[in-house]
Amino acid sequence: MNALLRSPIIAPLAALLIVTAIAALTTPRFLDTGNLSNLALQVSIVAIVAIGSTFVILIAGIDLSPGSAIALLTMIFAMSVKFQGIPLPIAILLTIALGAGLGAFNGFLTAYLRIPAFITTLAALSAFRGMAFLFNNGSPVFSVHDALEGIFYGTFLGLPLPLYYLIILYAAAWYVLRYTAFGRAVYAVGGNPNAAELSGLKVRRIQFFAFMIAGAMAGIGAVLMAARLNSGSPNYGVGLELSAIAAAVIGGASLAGGRGNIINTLIGALTIVIVQNALNLNAVPTSVQTIVLGAIIVTAVGLDMWRNEIGNVLHGLAATRRKS
Amino acid sequence: MPDQTNKAVPAWEVRNLTKRFAGIVANDSVSLSLERGQIHGLLGENGCGKSTLIKMMMGVHQPSAGEILRDGQPVTIAGPTAARAAGLAAVFQEFSLVPTLTVAENIWLGNLPGHRAKVDWQTMRDSATEVMARLSVAIDPEATVADLSVADQQLVEIAKAIATDASMLILDEPTTALGLEEIKDLHRILRKLAAQDKAILYISHRLDEVEELVDCVTVLKDGRVVSTAAETEVSVDAFVAAMIGEISNHYPKVDNVRDKILLEARGLRTANRVQDVSFNVHAGEVFGLGGVLGSGRTEIARALFGVDRLLAGEVKVDGKTLRLRSPADAVAAGIALVPENRKVDGLFFNFQGQPNMSISKLARLGSPAAMSLRTEERLTHELYDRLEVSASAKDRLVGLLSGGNQQKIVIGRWLFAGARVFVLDEPTQGIDVGARAAVYTLINELTAAGHAVVLISSDDNELLAMSDRIGIVNHGRLVDIRAASDVRKSDLVRASSEQETAA
Repeated sequence: MNALLRSPIIAPLAALLIVTAIAALTTPRFLDTGNLSNLALQVSIVAIVAIGSTFVILIAGIDLSPGSAIALLTMIFAMSVKFQGIPLPIAILLTIALGAGLGAFNGFLTAYLRIPAFITTLAALSAFRGMAFLFNNGSPVFSVHDALEGIFYGTFLGLPLPLYYLIILYAAAWYVLRYTAFGRAVYAVGGNPNAAELSGLKVRRIQFFAFMIAGAMAGIGAVLMAARLNSGSPNYGVGLELSAIAAAVIGGASLAGGRGNIINTLIGALTIVIVQNALNLNAVPTSVQTIVLGAIIVTAVGLDMWRNEIGNVLHGLAATRRKS
Repeated sequence: MPDQTNKAVPAWEVRNLTKRFAGIVANDSVSLSLERGQIHGLLGENGCGKSTLIKMMMGVHQPSAGEILRDGQPVTIAGPTAARAAGLAAVFQEFSLVPTLTVAENIWLGNLPGHRAKVDWQTMRDSATEVMARLSVAIDPEATVADLSVADQQLVEIAKAIATDASMLILDEPTTALGLEEIKDLHRILRKLAAQDKAILYISHRLDEVEELVDCVTVLKDGRVVSTAAETEVSVDAFVAAMIGEISNHYPKVDNVRDKILLEARGLRTANRVQDVSFNVHAGEVFGLGGVLGSGRTEIARALFGVDRLLAGEVKVDGKTLRLRSPADAVAAGIALVPENRKVDGLFFNFQGQPNMSISKLARLGSPAAMSLRTEERLTHELYDRLEVSASAKDRLVGLLSGGNQQKIVIGRWLFAGARVFVLDEPTQGIDVGARAAVYTLINELTAAGHAVVLISSDDNELLAMSDRIGIVNHGRLVDIRAASDVRKSDLVRASSEQETAA
């Protein structure tokens, strides 16, 4: 019982189950197949961006820029396909690469020029959004390509395609963090950068790559975002960084770095999206939804911090009982 | 104030103090008496119950049984504030100063003179100056604490403790971060406080220092007093005998020096004050670096390890000149650094022992794209056994381990990496006698295997006993290299006093 309570997956999983139960009980339409596949679509972009947020948080950084990066990337993607006639597969790859480039820029400023991540990515949050408005006179680009919507709304074996992207990317991230030297170094650099340097790790390079991965995830997010509405817009992705960071934090990732688990981030993303979905189904206004998101973040972090103490109390009680 | 109390009644006494935590007995009927004007040493290995005892005296824990007496009268100490009011003051290993505030502000923090919201700055400065005068130290009360040296910060801690007119001062490992000269200063100040009729309880791992300072010693083991103040002879051998319960060879030095030169440093110079440092270390040899804190020993280690860039000179391992651009290059060449401050520079507190040990050579776990966690488990558990890491320490986050086990894990990292040159910077600092013995045995194993060891230690006895040759460092220069058997403790002390006069 005690070991179970201390296991890092329990708190986020319990939160997810409670939220799901409440949603299912209060909202009749929640369990409809239509709504469930809708959920998969809704969660996909947040969850994919949250992979990047998790890597950056693990190295004790923070990335505030993916929402703006996505706006910029959807514009570039939409214009290059619609006006330059670049074939869709190539444009997709270019967009992801460009996303990685934007992340690399953040990484360069943070890791090599040693400007705090909060500042570099806050600046990028502002600058990337501004750049997005430079394209097409700041107007959205609609009807980008006939085949584009299929990327988002298509199904395979009856399940929506974004579900497959999600599973593949999370499996890859899980593998990288657990079974590769780079993944281990990510945890080490976040846990103690001094010790990492003195253990022979190339600390800055690791930090740089973490930001680059976050950028690439924003690139994938941008393609999905553009596919969802067959358009690009400088107004896409507002507040997405907050949801992505919240997903990681609700999943138990420590903003101090070095602690966190990618599967828990997925659980965190699902929790957020289910809450939003339930509120939507009950016609709760967006303003209230964002307040709820704030409350969830604080509660999740608080519960996670108290969890060990609750465990200690139970452990102490059990020990006393054995004695007497 | 006329002294009406009977001299025969100790200022403070603890009588049969017992503390149980969830069924574990941390202190078992501990008794001590602390006389006015006396410096009382308290010794024992980590986990012997020293901290619990102090915490009960300072009101952090309440005793399960027994009593605390002031001037012969039982008192209840409800909490830290009550402890201060009763005249108890403690200086702990971890500083409790606020770095961004001034010395005076720190001394009076929580007790600021003045009326309600308005602080009387003049009184605060004057009384801080007065406290400093009592200690005969010249620290500007207006200075910001962050700008002070570690030694001065330690003195501010003590000033803070005595500012409330405590009748007893408890010091827990106050010299961990201090150099020889600074320790001497601290001792002088403590003697002065004792002469002002304060009772002092002094805790330290440095036995030679305790021998020099204290009037009597109580030794704890497993939560019990194993040697009372009346019984304990004030000598390092007697301390060790009482603490570990047997008289063993304190320093089990084995001579393993071979002919082959493994490490060569030629004309090293760094921006960090290292100047023209040249020396060789043979396979199987322990090369000691002596000198005071701040003499440049740690900086030499940093230069060897590629942390500080070499402005001139070269480092060779096994005759091959290294390209040292970063620690990664040093690690690749088989150099290991066990840093002075393992908490800040050594350990990954988000990891258990196993990944802490494997991190410098993940290549041993297979391809970087497919590490085998099973191999990691097997290899690191072999190391646990070899280093005699306690069974309870395996599979736990390293933050929960004792200092000794933590240090074994940092050293284990370099055994895992297959290093051949070991730079050990204060490897026994803050670890107990049992774990020290394990570190010494390990040094012998390293040299027996033909590895080279560069040993930096502020513990002169350790440095003299464990080194084959010693280089004396002064102002970043290597001023003398001699066989350890030709170096007297007084030479090391003299080297440091020369530094003082030169500076």
